[in-house]
Amino acid sequence: MSILADKNTKVLVQGITGTQASFHVKRSIDYGTNVVAGVTPGKGGIIHLGVPVFDSVKEAVVTTGAEATVLFVPARSVKSAVRESVEAGLKLIVCISDSVPVKDMLEVKNILKGSDIKFVGPNTPGIITPDEARLGIFPENIHNKGRIGIVSRSSTLTYEAVLETRRSGEGQSTVVGLGDDMVIGINFVDTLKLFHDDKDTEAVIMVGQMGGMFEEQGAEWYAQQKNKKPIISFIAGNNLTFRRHVGYAGDIITRGRITAEDKRKIMTDAGIVVVDSINQIHEELKNLIK
Amino acid sequence: MDIHEYQAKKILSSNGIKIPKGRIAYTPAEARKVAKEVSARGPWVLKAQIHSGARRLGRFIDAKAGVSGGIRIIDSLKDIYSNAEEMLGSTLVTSQTSPKGKLVSRIYVEAFNKVSHTFYVGMAIDRTNSSIVLLAANTKDEDIADIVANRPDKILRIPIDLNGPTHSQTSQLTNFLKLQNKSAESFHKFIRGMFKTFVSNDALMIEINPAGVLKNNEIVALDAKIRIDNRGLSRHPELECLRDDYEIEERELKALKYGFAYSEYDGNIGCIVNGSGLALAMVDTLKQGDNAIACSLNVKGSVDRDKIAAGIKLIATNPKVEGIIIYILGGFLRCDLIADGIIDAAAEVGMNIPLVVRFEGTNRDDAENILEQAKLPLIMADNMEDAVSKIVKAVEENE
Repeated sequence: MSILADKNTKVLVQGITGTQASFHVKRSIDYGTNVVAGVTPGKGGIIHLGVPVFDSVKEAVVTTGAEATVLFVPARSVKSAVRESVEAGLKLIVCISDSVPVKDMLEVKNILKGSDIKFVGPNTPGIITPDEARLGIFPENIHNKGRIGIVSRSSTLTYEAVLETRRSGEGQSTVVGLGDDMVIGINFVDTLKLFHDDKDTEAVIMVGQMGGMFEEQGAEWYAQQKNKKPIISFIAGNNLTFRRHVGYAGDIITRGRITAEDKRKIMTDAGIVVVDSINQIHEELKNLIK
Repeated sequence: MDIHEYQAKKILSSNGIKIPKGRIAYTPAEARKVAKEVSARGPWVLKAQIHSGARRLGRFIDAKAGVSGGIRIIDSLKDIYSNAEEMLGSTLVTSQTSPKGKLVSRIYVEAFNKVSHTFYVGMAIDRTNSSIVLLAANTKDEDIADIVANRPDKILRIPIDLNGPTHSQTSQLTNFLKLQNKSAESFHKFIRGMFKTFVSNDALMIEINPAGVLKNNEIVALDAKIRIDNRGLSRHPELECLRDDYEIEERELKALKYGFAYSEYDGNIGCIVNGSGLALAMVDTLKQGDNAIACSLNVKGSVDRDKIAAGIKLIATNPKVEGIIIYILGGFLRCDLIADGIIDAAAEVGMNIPLVVRFEGTNRDDAENILEQAKLPLIMADNMEDAVSKIVKAVEENE
């Protein structure tokens, strides 16, 4: 088992014929990902990377039974791509596209409101379940199957966290990149829940960063759980001296200036092990799981 | 992207928000001329146009600018000229700028509007709740900066959806701000205008601090700040031309032209990374002993050999930098491109300071081969802590 996607997940790729998409989807297929269809409006009927391409998501879903979609569409098309995949009944949407305007993401959140659809991203490396499915752009060769779940707001630090699991002799159950845009789909709480329900995940690495209160939310949820899986966390930006900025709104929304110490205390109180440096994760992992 | 107060006011005004009559001036003579145009008699308000709040309490670095701040209330026309002369060409430091301050190259001249009641209203993105949030506080007795710091409970926060604030939300605000019924209609119009400005311009933040109530009970925006979402700019060419490059630090601006993000700190080590999280983690790991980060360059987006070389030169030529860490976890980005860039940059500016390199991911082996053949005095590292301890040691030995 794993979370969100495994070798059986039937994957659709929106924008499959683009250059970046072609490069990464080929790697995903070689990795063993069950890519069943692609969608590029106007290119329906062709076969690309050995996969049938359709004009619309609905057509692709009806024909191939696709369950999840990966978006490689231009930022300006994300909103309509999401609407299409929601209407076609897809339950998992992974948005690799970056530079999506915040207003468009607010509209995407409106489209998703009240549904049980999992939207990951935007601007995320995606999801990878080692040796099974790669929905995104992860450097797949650094991953190995194991029992550690990883969830991160930062793309590149995700890779560093993966390397830390390897240093401790462990591997990953599933790795999820949340993206660190202002408005994102699933957050720490959603992902921690999934990892807690997954019997193949024994511990979780949570990589956060300054800005917003997603880590605090995750900690609050964790504090209330009876059966806790160990969580090790690194928060990037701990030592960042406050950068001056125009206006007061940011500080008002977070009810005063949040320091890294505040974040750390809330997380530690909830039972999360917070490390000072991302390279300390492997040692903590050895301590926490035997 | 931030824009200036006078630009923000013009946009708000076009959406139905009342603003004082005002004009922009670039010279003292122009200031005096436009003062006469906006009001037959004083007082007037002279406002330094820089991307910063808290300008009234700010101070000019230059002796010629006198001891008054960046917002001045002037009673007589002759004082307009002398005050404009003091402010223009001087550098203003506020609690929201860096200690270096910002050069004032234009001032906004406004008719003074007497108001009976002042308050703060903001609209911004609440990332944790994925919504727009409306913020408000009474500022009659206390500055918003003090309320934020000491009495955050005195600020009302209302999440609003993309349909805009409901009538009952606006009424809730009216009550919270203790506005009189006579001002209610004007206030509703004011809030609607703010929301319209927010959504139709892809704004990330609008702040009106303060707004006030005029004698005729109308609500007026005495100040205004708007921040636009860079990602939405392509659908607003009219806003793109409001970008003020002089507001951005020189190296940061150069990096932006290559599509990179450059940040400056107080330390002595320069870092080149791919990813903002990686840059932050580097700040943390580097905070050891007497060493700290001097500047970071986040190479992202579509890169090529020339851009990388130019980026590395930006870091290598920063006089504060005594050592460089290049730390690349290649996914999208190919490590060999970075290696080529290092060689080009070294050929142009020389590399007489220590350089620690770590590559992982796409084309790592190619990159390491390229560097090996170039025979540059590089130190290779295995992880972040390793890179930091190696650069710290190398910098000490280099002294």
